[in-house]
Amino acid sequence: MRNAAAFRGGWPAAGIGLLLLFPLSSPDAFFLDVFTTGFLLAAFAASWDVVGGVSGQITLGHAFPFGVAAYACALLTSLAGWPLPLAVAAAVLLAAAVGAGIGALSAPLAGPFVALLTLALGEIAHEAAVGNTFFSGPGGYAWGGEGGIPVALPWRDASPFSSYYAALAFLCLASYGMLRFSRSGAGLILRAIAGSPITAQASGVPIARYKRLGFAVGSAFAGAAGAGFALHVGRATATDLSLELSFQAATFAAVGGRGTIVGPIVAALVLHVLFQGLSLPPSARVLLYALTLLVTLRFFPGGVVGTARDLASRPGGKEGARSPRRRGRNRSGEGTP
Amino acid sequence: MTSPLPQVLLDGLFAGGTYALMAAGMALILGVVKVINLSHGAFFTLGAYVAYALAERGIVSPIAAAPIAAVIAFAFGVFLAKSFVNPVRNHPFALPVGTLACALLFEQAAQMAWGPHPLSIEAGAPWIGPGGLVIRRWGVIAFLSSAALLGGLKWLLSARPGLPLRLIAEDEEIAGSLGMDVEAIRYLTFGGACAMAAAAGALLSPSGAVTPTMGRAPLLLSLVVVIVAGMDSVAVIFLLSIGLGIFGNACAWFLSPQWSYVALLAAVCLLLSTRPAGIVVPAGRRD
Repeated sequence: MRNAAAFRGGWPAAGIGLLLLFPLSSPDAFFLDVFTTGFLLAAFAASWDVVGGVSGQITLGHAFPFGVAAYACALLTSLAGWPLPLAVAAAVLLAAAVGAGIGALSAPLAGPFVALLTLALGEIAHEAAVGNTFFSGPGGYAWGGEGGIPVALPWRDASPFSSYYAALAFLCLASYGMLRFSRSGAGLILRAIAGSPITAQASGVPIARYKRLGFAVGSAFAGAAGAGFALHVGRATATDLSLELSFQAATFAAVGGRGTIVGPIVAALVLHVLFQGLSLPPSARVLLYALTLLVTLRFFPGGVVGTARDLASRPGGKEGARSPRRRGRNRSGEGTP
Repeated sequence: MTSPLPQVLLDGLFAGGTYALMAAGMALILGVVKVINLSHGAFFTLGAYVAYALAERGIVSPIAAAPIAAVIAFAFGVFLAKSFVNPVRNHPFALPVGTLACALLFEQAAQMAWGPHPLSIEAGAPWIGPGGLVIRRWGVIAFLSSAALLGGLKWLLSARPGLPLRLIAEDEEIAGSLGMDVEAIRYLTFGGACAMAAAAGALLSPSGAVTPTMGRAPLLLSLVVVIVAGMDSVAVIFLLSIGLGIFGNACAWFLSPQWSYVALLAAVCLLLSTRPAGIVVPAGRRD
């Protein structure tokens, strides 16, 4: 792909090396925690990119599979008493199934309607999580609502170092998987569908099936990140399903450059560590994310990384960074072949 | 009170009639600017907070709150359209995500300014009608002013001053070649539609809690209305909004308040999956 050359040459290895060394500088536990969350968010942002960038399906409900996996993890371990690895596997599978379902529903839709549908589905899931209460049999606690559900962890108080390295390992594995997927044959076909659905269909590609696949794969990785997040925090809460979280993923992808997988990861790490490290109140953080996104969309439609790369490689213009489809008049051409 | 049904119907009628103002604004944006404005709910919230801020200073009147909210929202709307929506309106990613960003931006700003807890406006004692029916003064005023404004909009769209709007909705190139300033009409329409949403928010603010996220449900209601009714007829939008207002109020009354939001969300999902073409395009159907 276009982006491969820019990120070859050992830059990722250098970044990973720095991140591996960082805990050795004996930082504050707070910063280790910020980075641990950042790694999970970065994997989540990359999984958004599988759906929203590579497949071109603009989803505003990507917190749905993330939160479903977090809740499944919590409910299966705390309420059903499953062993943790089994619960995590089930959670990831469930997230993939949710993704396939969203993909099936949104496959016939075009452009902004995918965003609308995914937004609505995500909000339904959020309301369901806020409104439902679960009762644990043995303890007699009432769980759910805004407080969320605890995850029954087999360990007590994981050290910040082990969490940090586990999350970093997860991020590396997940991003490798997603990069492989986005450069595989299926990823290429998904990019073709994102570029021009009509051309792809004319070439005999079963569009609906590939859209489902894109959603399922992206959602499975989102679910893995969600399960990891639930393990890290020790709780699944309704914010795991919130619109703000879905929106954050889209922000990271927009800033980092859609369709590059690596871009959103870098953007997520940088922005999260920056905003979280400043220890701003949560609402100020979302505000900053929204501002960052608006400025990015307005002035760097291909993402900061994407636009900079295109300018560097081609001084002529930044056309390549834009999604080429549906430019020009968006509605009048619909009926004509 | 013998049965809650008349009360639910009446409150739903008042609320729905006012929501129609917002839904008509959304339809206007869709028709003229040809974008789906996910920040429409934020302008509704803005209107409600303006009404709250005025009520705090002792001015408890919808007649005062709605125009002030409308003017503020118009200014914001024109700014948003000029600075963001117009330049990116053909971009399939930037538009939904960007307008959602505006909505979240406003929600967070409102939360920082007024706090996350629900606020309420004391609107004075209601009239008690026959059979113990509670008739809220603001509700009546909101319904009547919304109906009047929508009547005005209907007239505008059918009369000569509304010709540019109809022409741009039909074909922008012809409008441009006739010397119309398409860009200006687009952002003025956007601002006007935002003003309509804010006026609806100000008019409806005493009937519920004022919170930073209160605009999400009306946004979905507008989306449902626009998907079903299209942009053809103001009257259809009005009637459909009343129907949805009554439905939402019944859900809130008989089940629980968040059910009306879930019902609207489900309606959006259902409509989109049964009508993959989404919103009916008005070309060739108008007139």
